[in-house]
Amino acid sequence: MSGERPLRLGFIALNDAAVMIVAKEKGFFAAEGLDVELSRQVSWATVRDKMSVGALDGAHMLAPTALAISLGVAGGEPTPLVAPLALNINGPAITVASRLAAAMGTGRTAEGLARLVTRRREEGASPITLAVVFPFSVHNYLLRDWLARAGIDPDRDVRLTIAPPSRMTELLVGGVVEGFCVTEPWDTAAVAAGAGVVLVRGSELWPRTPDKVFAVTEAWAEARPDDLQALLRAMLQAGAWADAPGNRAELASLLALPHYVGADPLVIEASLSDMIFHAGGASAPQTVHAAWLLSQMMRWAHIDPDVDIAAVASRVYRPDLHQAATRALGLPDTAPIATLEGFEDGAAFDLLTAQAHAVRARQGRISAG
Amino acid sequence: MRVLVVDPDPARAALVAEGLAGVEPLEVRHALLFVEAEAAAFAPDVIVVASDSPDRDTIESLREATAANPRPVVMFVDRSEAGLAEQAVLAGVSAYVVDGLSAARVRSVLEVAMSRFQLMNGLRQDLEKAKADLASRKTVERAKALLMKERGLEEEAAYRVLRKLSMDTGRPLGAVAADLVAFAGVLKGNGS
Repeated sequence: MSGERPLRLGFIALNDAAVMIVAKEKGFFAAEGLDVELSRQVSWATVRDKMSVGALDGAHMLAPTALAISLGVAGGEPTPLVAPLALNINGPAITVASRLAAAMGTGRTAEGLARLVTRRREEGASPITLAVVFPFSVHNYLLRDWLARAGIDPDRDVRLTIAPPSRMTELLVGGVVEGFCVTEPWDTAAVAAGAGVVLVRGSELWPRTPDKVFAVTEAWAEARPDDLQALLRAMLQAGAWADAPGNRAELASLLALPHYVGADPLVIEASLSDMIFHAGGASAPQTVHAAWLLSQMMRWAHIDPDVDIAAVASRVYRPDLHQAATRALGLPDTAPIATLEGFEDGAAFDLLTAQAHAVRARQGRISAG
Repeated sequence: MRVLVVDPDPARAALVAEGLAGVEPLEVRHALLFVEAEAAAFAPDVIVVASDSPDRDTIESLREATAANPRPVVMFVDRSEAGLAEQAVLAGVSAYVVDGLSAARVRSVLEVAMSRFQLMNGLRQDLEKAKADLASRKTVERAKALLMKERGLEEEAAYRVLRKLSMDTGRPLGAVAADLVAFAGVLKGNGS
């Protein structure tokens, strides 16, 4: 069924690689007749490069990175990717250094941080440095939106930097960064090390926050449709296994292995609490999520305003491929999410209005400057 | 030309730095981790990074932050030489050039880095093989000792028994010896 060599799938040491790790370790790939090799990578840049030259068949990927690679704005050659599966819902959190949290006092909110930003500026102190894992990440866009809603300009009032997830605690302890937005277990790990305090979870800012997807190149998806469906069926079953409360302790010990996430199993188990892999349609790639991410990329000038948001979102996100796999397993279809609520201007966000939202947000930003 | 080599593997970094120093007049520095302030002070023209360095994302993001970094680096992608970029990815090397450096000069740097990475991979494989050979030789010694004790053979005769077993079964001497040691353990009740 699969080719002459094992399928190579890349992942980064994070809780949301769980579905791939479970599919391998609990035999779901093997049951689909697949020989899969999981290959740990240490940077999203390397995942991108290996995908584009075919050294990886598929990968665990930040949803906005899959969009950015397809558009050719993430560095490297433009490589059209498809995302037929969402790997998790919830998992990112905003964590700050214990010292910064103490300085915020009881106002441990974005507004509290805004007051601190102003005070630092008045004192002539250096701006607060916050890290995210990659420019094209839901973490970057969640953090930027959270800051902007409190009147903090993420490009002018604070310094945003990029750091590898597994080094966040060390950078916090060393004072190199004073806060970060990263997916678990690295927030809980910073808390357990006494270095940081979780200010807010992604799931509190946006219930059912999208985060990682499973991505393959469009060319691979077209060349090997049967292998892709087999991968999806295996990972759907792995997701259901990973969601079962009775399996969470075993899941934590699997993830804790040094060649996977490599963190304390108790920290991992605690950090999995709000993460969903499959239940309630969590694994379906929702095109409106891709549209929101693209609108944020446009808002912060990471992509040009003439990018056709609806067209790109629909080309990369492939709920049809997901549906073929769920149907083969006899699972119910996942209804597409039509609109997202919670925008400041009160208007609903959907595929049709995404472009207008993004252009307005970008213009608002330019005129404010 | 100034080249910064970022590689979490100190031996390989040293090998790459040494190789580059021989190419043309240049200054090479190697670091296990990328530290932005140190890099800014050194002001490299090229940054050569191991694909297994966790700092690649940080280095790439400097492109986004031109205001914060006066010497932004850009990813080296010469579209006319897609083959080179591909070879570099497979060899495990990436390079970032600072604006203004000619593609030809970057190419020579990248080629040296790639050859040193391949050399290092070769050395590592040789080392693994040497370790495996040593382990196999130890197993053969144990199997010989076992035969000498259990069958009252001289060392030479014990070796001939193993040799014959290896030839009859068409399997390496080390594998045959390992089986013998394992089976002896089971017969004595050491296994389960």
